[in-house]
Amino acid sequence: MLSTFLSHQRKAFWRSRNRGGSMATQILLGFFMLYFLAVALGVGFGMTVFLPKIFPNQDILRSFNGLILYYFTLDFMMRLQLQELPTLSIIPYLHLKVSKNKIINFLNIKALFSAFNIWPVFLFFPFIFIEIADIYGGFTTLMYIVSILSLTIFNNYLVLYIKRKSITNALYTVAGLLIIAAFAALEYFKVISLMKAADYVFKAVAEYPYIGFVFTLAAITIYILNSRFLLSNLYVEEMGSKKEKKVSTDYAFLNRFGKVGELAALELKLILRHKRSRSSLILGVLFLFYGFIFYKQPMIASDSFGKMMFAAIFMTGVSIIIYGQFMFAWQSGHFDGLLSNKINFKDFIKAKFLLFTIASTVMTLLSTFYGFLSPKLLLLHLVCYLYNIGFGTVIVLYLATLNYKRLDITKAASFNYQGTGATQWLLMFPYALTPILMYLPFGLLKMPYWGLAVIGIFGVIMLLLRSFWINLITAKFEKQRYKIAEGFRE
Amino acid sequence: MIIEVKNLKKVYGDKTVVNIDRIQIEKGETVGLVGNNGAGKTTFFRMLLDLIRPNEGEVLSKGENVMKNGNWKDYTASFLDEGFLIDYLTPEEYFIFIGSLHDLSVADVSAYLTQYNEFFNGEILNSGKYIRDFSKGNQVKVGIAAALMQKPEILILDEPFANLDPTTQIRLKNLLKAQAGNMTTFISSHDLNHVTDVCNRIILVEKGQVIKDFKTDENTLKELESYFSA
Repeated sequence: MLSTFLSHQRKAFWRSRNRGGSMATQILLGFFMLYFLAVALGVGFGMTVFLPKIFPNQDILRSFNGLILYYFTLDFMMRLQLQELPTLSIIPYLHLKVSKNKIINFLNIKALFSAFNIWPVFLFFPFIFIEIADIYGGFTTLMYIVSILSLTIFNNYLVLYIKRKSITNALYTVAGLLIIAAFAALEYFKVISLMKAADYVFKAVAEYPYIGFVFTLAAITIYILNSRFLLSNLYVEEMGSKKEKKVSTDYAFLNRFGKVGELAALELKLILRHKRSRSSLILGVLFLFYGFIFYKQPMIASDSFGKMMFAAIFMTGVSIIIYGQFMFAWQSGHFDGLLSNKINFKDFIKAKFLLFTIASTVMTLLSTFYGFLSPKLLLLHLVCYLYNIGFGTVIVLYLATLNYKRLDITKAASFNYQGTGATQWLLMFPYALTPILMYLPFGLLKMPYWGLAVIGIFGVIMLLLRSFWINLITAKFEKQRYKIAEGFRE
Repeated sequence: MIIEVKNLKKVYGDKTVVNIDRIQIEKGETVGLVGNNGAGKTTFFRMLLDLIRPNEGEVLSKGENVMKNGNWKDYTASFLDEGFLIDYLTPEEYFIFIGSLHDLSVADVSAYLTQYNEFFNGEILNSGKYIRDFSKGNQVKVGIAAALMQKPEILILDEPFANLDPTTQIRLKNLLKAQAGNMTTFISSHDLNHVTDVCNRIILVEKGQVIKDFKTDENTLKELESYFSA
């Protein structure tokens, strides 16, 4: 029976409507996975070398043991946010002569197919084989492996259990991450040490290997709990998240823009009321920290704005890029309704501009904390902001008229690449390259501030030309609307 | 004459889905479009609403081609399927949004909605749900009420009786009959009883072509039944 389920799953994938698209994205995802696995493997082997460097005054085993606990706590938080409940696919079987246990087994096994369950193997096993085996010998090594695998499975089913009981939301994850960060900080300032506690636990495993089975026991317990819960709650309507009472809202600040504001409010509701768009919003906020990776003191000191341009464009325009790449398709579910109602196409396009401008303004204001690194960055961000709202919006909306792929926004959010096509990936090139190329000659001539001025002026000119762009895009939209509507109906 | 369809043709691949020489609809007529699945009813409606570009021919609304400008949207309301609903809104938000497109204030909209309490059977307003969480029948009710709220001169509904409960079917028939004469209504239906009851003109289509076009009388139902059982 299980193999029948799995074969149905396979068919569902191969016979899905947009197979070409989902194939391409699967391959792309596969590459991402391989990349991350390679990174994990690299870190796994590297640990023997750099653990002593990071924690110089500490026994290497102790550092390793400490890391395990941190990793699994982080893993838990990540899973809470990213791991999906395998539910919907079982609806067609519930009313058939298939025992509930079989369905539950299927759900449980399907849940194991997750990248989260492979990472620990790549991350921890090299160290275990190299160091632990060397010091403690075969049996302890085996128990370490059993412990790691048990913890992985424990996390896997614990997250599913929590999600099924729907006692989670994004806020908890953020809170959890903050708590971990707090612990890490306390660790750093040597107030209390979670590492010490973890080391205590794993040292016990090293000395009395049988203790490792405690983890296994915990994993089995949570597995059984999960299965029991499923058995008594195998109803489709109960497996989703809990329903709360929905209320009508009105965004007063948009009212001053008349019909355009009305349409913008409509879209704002769309963004806030769908998981997929909401998570891209959260992603956008996370990208605000992108600068900490990109901005380096030497770059700032030498005014190398060209090298920092990409990050700045991305942070101030993240909402335009991430939301805009699927433009119009967000509304594919009711696109016919929008076309046949009394909506002026020009207002429709104007509303998009309005929304983008507001979003980009907010992101730019939020990114001002980089001013503490250097006030120069504020100038860079201002210039990139002008470019984003002046010209970035135009690129995104023009390309949007060429996007005919339906987007099913009711489906889950993370790692969902449905509706992604070549246009989405191509978008980044003109968007990011235009300002960088504009800056390049000035950068080479060692006139960085002139370069910034040119981009800023370009942005302002484009902003002044906005009504021209609106007319151009509206005309294009009018021409393309049948094609778009047809694509969205599929 | 309020709607005129001229030489309208839509081809997908090598299959002609709609091929209509001429249909003229007078102001105030209630026209029923009848035909089996695949007869091209929905495609035809979509072309009336400028949602699909015809390969040939044109649709004239008050003498203007619907593809050329959007003036027809001022006086035309429609509900073809759930794709016309903005399903992440509450019904109230949806009505207010549609109302705002026709310059109706929030007060106008709620005043209008009070007369639909019976039609909604207490399940639609203040339900604390988004439209997407409603049953199909209730979604149809929202769509039809929103269409009627626009006080249209032309109303286009695709299979409005499907998914509705018997009480609502009868209420909808009464609603449509009450409007006859001052509103031009174009509906499609698979239910021959309803369509002959409501409409004063029937257009029978098959494989995209108009087979019959006639005024209803007491024999119409029998005629249609014998046509479809043949």
